[in-house]
Amino acid sequence: MAELPVSPAIPIALSAQALRVVRSGQEVLKDVSFRIAQGEVHALLGGNGAGKSTTLLTFLGFLAPASGSVQVRGRDVSEDIRAARQAIAYLPEAAALYGHLNAYENLRYFLSLARMDTQRPALDAALDRVALQAEAREMRMQTYSKGMRQKVAIAMAILREAPILLLDEPTSGLDPAAIDDFNRLVRELAEAGRTILLVTHDVYGACHVADRIDLLHKGELVGTFDRPPGMDRIDTEAVHAAFATHAAA
Amino acid sequence: MTKRLFAMAREEWRLWLRSRLALCTLLIFALLVTSTGIATALRMSSEHRERTEQQAVAEETFLAQPDRHPHRMVHYGHYVFRVPPPLAMIDPGVDSVTGQSMFLEGHRQNTAMFADARASVELGGFEVLTAALVYQLFLPLLLIAIGHGLIIREREENTLAPLLAQGVTGVELYAAKGIALAGVALALLLPLAVMCAAAIGQGAALRASAGVMGLYTLYVLAWCSPILLVSTLVRSRSLAVGVLTLFWLVAALIVPRIAVESSSAAIPTLSKLETDLSMQAELRKVGDGHDAGAPAFRQLQANLLAQYNVDRLEELPINFRGVVSEVAEAGLTEVMNRYAEQRMALEARQAHFAASFGWLSPVVAASAGSRALSGTDLATHHRFLREAEAVRIDFVQSLNRAHAEQVAHGDDINRSVDSESEQRARISARNWNALDEFSFQPTAAGERLARAGTPMAMLFAWVLMLTAAGILAARKMRP
Repeated sequence: MAELPVSPAIPIALSAQALRVVRSGQEVLKDVSFRIAQGEVHALLGGNGAGKSTTLLTFLGFLAPASGSVQVRGRDVSEDIRAARQAIAYLPEAAALYGHLNAYENLRYFLSLARMDTQRPALDAALDRVALQAEAREMRMQTYSKGMRQKVAIAMAILREAPILLLDEPTSGLDPAAIDDFNRLVRELAEAGRTILLVTHDVYGACHVADRIDLLHKGELVGTFDRPPGMDRIDTEAVHAAFATHAAA
Repeated sequence: MTKRLFAMAREEWRLWLRSRLALCTLLIFALLVTSTGIATALRMSSEHRERTEQQAVAEETFLAQPDRHPHRMVHYGHYVFRVPPPLAMIDPGVDSVTGQSMFLEGHRQNTAMFADARASVELGGFEVLTAALVYQLFLPLLLIAIGHGLIIREREENTLAPLLAQGVTGVELYAAKGIALAGVALALLLPLAVMCAAAIGQGAALRASAGVMGLYTLYVLAWCSPILLVSTLVRSRSLAVGVLTLFWLVAALIVPRIAVESSSAAIPTLSKLETDLSMQAELRKVGDGHDAGAPAFRQLQANLLAQYNVDRLEELPINFRGVVSEVAEAGLTEVMNRYAEQRMALEARQAHFAASFGWLSPVVAASAGSRALSGTDLATHHRFLREAEAVRIDFVQSLNRAHAEQVAHGDDINRSVDSESEQRARISARNWNALDEFSFQPTAAGERLARAGTPMAMLFAWVLMLTAAGILAARKMRP
């Protein structure tokens, strides 16, 4: 797959080169290449089993490439997994938080593991940004809806202050208003210089939030769509048509 | 890194505190071990008091006997009691299965007798549940219940990937979970520490008590290690519970049984009937000390007559009957001691063989070490038997000597004929003072620690081996 040109003036935050990943004897990523510049919102779009989440896990060093390589801020992940993970805030598909803790306790705990000592006002500010109701913050998360948990997980990604965010189906479980809020937040973070790689099967959401969409199908990159200059979103119909064509194939 | 490890361990403790099931399980165990500990402590304290009192009464009764023929006192006999050591409140060991008192008399080595059969019936057998047993059998189950999901839960609830993504390594997570589980396990040793302190208050050696704490610390760590290993390797909680329960069954029930059965098979002992028949045959050759005219003593008689240059027994300056009693007793004792030593050597070899199964089961290792440190093992019982025998032979031979030296031969042979001879055949009750006071003391702490050395090394090996395996598995940890 041919790589798309990226301005040499902007540093590359994430890149995959001829990436091939095999899981349980099955080739789940086949010769995938892409580069994501700093401050870019990049969406990997595809159906179930397309290899989207596998791509994220490879950037985190949880899966090793069978061939090819992945780089975080210009450095091969296999060379220094710790450095790669320090640069990344990862939000898994099912908001992975502890049910016996409340929102503050979850945030404090995960941030302390990243060696961050975050005070209550900063936590509240992040939770305000994701619009989590103040009265819910002291409640144990086992009482939260999926959307509320997702908001806390997003707040964690914000608070991590990592330059790169890997988001796995971040809007799953959110109501339409919350999705709009989330998309706005992602754009704000990108404008502040954060690089965001999100994987989703939500065509509409991806078109609205991403600068570039790579369409994955059965482990292969089958299409790339860029936000046209001066436009506020990628052409939804074109992406949808490509997505539907490959889904039907 | 330490801060991060303790942050993760603290989180686990918070989960257990907030989880009703974990909290209830911990409380039930604490209640069980505390109540069992108190019950055992009260029972052993009562046993200690009763046996000490009974020992004093037995000695008083013996010394209070009036002037008598010395051989009547040989058969009157005396009781000795094995007083339990203070640490028996934790592990009574072989106390309830080997007998705690013994009747000492001439010409016989009696077996130890049991005193708490009545109590056992009344308590429906509950009294066998000791603090040591609760720790050895039930604590591992509790640790399995709360610890099997330590790492699996992170995997099942999808929190493993974010944790590792925060830069936490698999080994760090393993270590943190290990600290969490070991922390709870060690906290559950608190009742044991209280019991050790109480035992020290009652005179237990500090070093032996510290040894008990050290042994059980190694034991709980020996259980934390496989639990962590399985939680690291296995991907579902139900499978982990199954694997660990199977390990518990094998370690706590099957291997100890195999250890006992195979030690009996590998080192067979003669049955009591066979031993008694064989020993009786040898004892007959020694001769019956009551029958001074028996062929077995003809040579003795000839030697004595020659030694004192006299022709008749009545002319001897000593009572030939007393001499025969003394010589016969010495001969009988030599035979009986040889059989007793053979039996004890076999029993000790069997115990050693069974204890070697500690390499296959931490329960066997802990059990052997606990008995050794508490001073309630088979070796201590054997020492009781030897010390009791020393008291027996000493007082019996003292009486036999008094028989030979203080009772005239003529009076002796006529004591059943006329009452005057019978009166003259009596000796002063002051002679009964030859009986030594018997006070069974706990084995020295150094010796107990030495005996527990191998079981402790076994437990250490368990911890080392399984922790190494766990660290290797943790290094490959993936979400």
